Amino acid sequence: MRAREPDETGIVRGVYWERFGDGEPTVLFVPPWAIVHSRVWKMQVPYFARHFRVVVFDPRGNGRSERCTDPRAYAETEYARDLLAVMDASETERAVLVSLSLGAQRALLAADAEPERVLGLAFVAPAVPLAPGIAERTVFAERFEEELGTDRGWAKFNAHYWRREYRAFLEFFFGRAFTEPHSTKQLEDTVDWGLESDAETLIATACAEGLDEDAIRAICDRLDCPVLVIHGEDDAIRPVAAGRELASAAGGDFLGLEGAGHCPQARKPVAVNLALRSFIERVARPPPVLATAETRKEEPAWLRLNLP
Amino acid sequence: MTKRALYISSPIGLGHAQRDVAIARELRELVPGLEIDWLAQDPVTRVLEGEGERVHPASRHLANESRHIESESAEHDLHCFQAWRRMDEILLANFMVFHDVVSEQRYDLWIGDEAWELDYYLHENPGEKRAAYAWLTDFVGWLPMADGGPHEAYLTADYNAEMVEHIATHPEVRDRALFVGDPEDIVPDRLGPELPAIREWTERNFDFTGYVSGFDPAQFADRERLRAELGYRSDERVCIVTVGGSGIGEHLLRKVIAAFPEAKERVPELRMIVVAGPRIDPATLPRADGLEVRRYVHNLYRHLAACDLAVVQGGLTTAMELTANGRPFLYFPLKHHFEQTLHVRHRLERYGAGRRMDFDESQPDDIAAAIGDVIGREVDYVDVDSGGARRAAARLAEMLA
Repeated sequence: MRAREPDETGIVRGVYWERFGDGEPTVLFVPPWAIVHSRVWKMQVPYFARHFRVVVFDPRGNGRSERCTDPRAYAETEYARDLLAVMDASETERAVLVSLSLGAQRALLAADAEPERVLGLAFVAPAVPLAPGIAERTVFAERFEEELGTDRGWAKFNAHYWRREYRAFLEFFFGRAFTEPHSTKQLEDTVDWGLESDAETLIATACAEGLDEDAIRAICDRLDCPVLVIHGEDDAIRPVAAGRELASAAGGDFLGLEGAGHCPQARKPVAVNLALRSFIERVARPPPVLATAETRKEEPAWLRLNLP
Repeated sequence: MTKRALYISSPIGLGHAQRDVAIARELRELVPGLEIDWLAQDPVTRVLEGEGERVHPASRHLANESRHIESESAEHDLHCFQAWRRMDEILLANFMVFHDVVSEQRYDLWIGDEAWELDYYLHENPGEKRAAYAWLTDFVGWLPMADGGPHEAYLTADYNAEMVEHIATHPEVRDRALFVGDPEDIVPDRLGPELPAIREWTERNFDFTGYVSGFDPAQFADRERLRAELGYRSDERVCIVTVGGSGIGEHLLRKVIAAFPEAKERVPELRMIVVAGPRIDPATLPRADGLEVRRYVHNLYRHLAACDLAVVQGGLTTAMELTANGRPFLYFPLKHHFEQTLHVRHRLERYGAGRRMDFDESQPDDIAAAIGDVIGREVDYVDVDSGGARRAAARLAEMLA
């Protein structure tokens, strides 16, 4: 059983969202890569819903959100549009955005597009290319759609392998995500969530366009909200150096978690929850008296083009 | 300054609540003026309210563990290790409630009776400990069921290994670790293939309180008087059927009710009383002429002390109450429930108490025959020491001196 059921649910742009509680402010938990869905926040939702208002959504490609096999549908800009559409649909004027892993990119885009709606940005294990990646992984990154002739280690991060051995890929990937010993339950959960999607959908997400270093640094330069980065020191999916660099580029605080892997929100939930709560309480101040319209920056082109 | 304790009692079953109330009573005698708050949920709160204990208002924020356990159960079947593993988000949510409470209010002592969330997350976050802390349990070690195969054996060993590491790495977290029982109550198994024997490890890391009963059996020495008080005539044979506090026992109740007509034929003076418990609606149970069905019986232990036979599941508390009072009983451990099937069974066998029955193999006529066979029979159990609550309280009081 879930520890807490949602008070409201909805679907917008084919994206399923849930709301819990009705305190202030709203904390929007941004989903990561569609290899999992919003249940990845299950250790956060009941706690934060008691103190604040919580909104979560399933990323397109998993959970109860729609899926397709067109990589364009999974561009980070599309996820950012989903995020803002969920805020509208859930009548969330402003929120603290808490993202996990790849969710960092969509959170950055949304904060850049509508800064007046973002009270603060907290990143857990952000997937941002601001530091060299895991060496064994990057070797194969450019050859995702090639037949490799090997499936050892990170060679499993490959479209052909996923088609052949989807579950084995999930077990490999989450085995690397949870570097902490005694993570059997977290491994079972994440593999199960991964199985709610499928190889072709996940291949499309892996071929989708994300943000490069320049784009991220440019957004960070424009950000003026409080930022917190939480990163496991033993993250074997996204190196902790990238998290440190993001905190530095965004002028935010950095919290390194000793002994933690890529999903500290699941494996070190108390430490993560307490750090997030103190961040949220710090940034949740009453809305400014003056309208922000005059100081609002021009909408970025990607947002203006084809919002529904 | 007034000393304050926060008591967290496991809501899985009613047994913990009864022994914890007994310990709290003794503790107040040893520490005059002590204030005890309880962070507890249904069905524990029913016992606490019946005893006039003070339930902390934040208790209403606790996610319900009993409902989860019930949702995981099938016909007289509860894989309690897996059900507990799948309760991870509920346990964490409840730890955060605890954390909020102790961040806002000062307590000198935290007492956790099988409060898994408290013990686990304190060891994971030792910096969050800000009071003396005592851990109580009546079993040590997750054990695999035979049909779970090597994977389940791997999982239980992994959980046990984490516990062993926690205790070795952070001995400062538990100021007291109390085993509710004696070393002989511990199963002869190991914690895992590469891990210590459970008894050896527990003897090294726990103090033993002996069994903690909610009452002193001496008060029931005059059984005829007790029966008269409870309205049981001396010429009737009273059989109490109870499945404890959770909603899982309904299938057993139905099977025993089906056995009633034949049992009544065998034992004409039989008076059978079925106690549905707080989480089963008695109106949903079948009726039979002469059969009594009750929702909840406060101080059920007094009725169990007075009966001629009890039919129960394999939960520790009820079985031990019957043992302490020298009552004959039939017990049906829940399938896949390692604690009932292995730990409790081992303890009852040590006391020579009860007749173990298999739910699947026992048809109503088998149960009727067993009732006829065992009811009213003299028993020869090993005595249950009644000083456990006092001993447990004494160890807790040391931390409040």
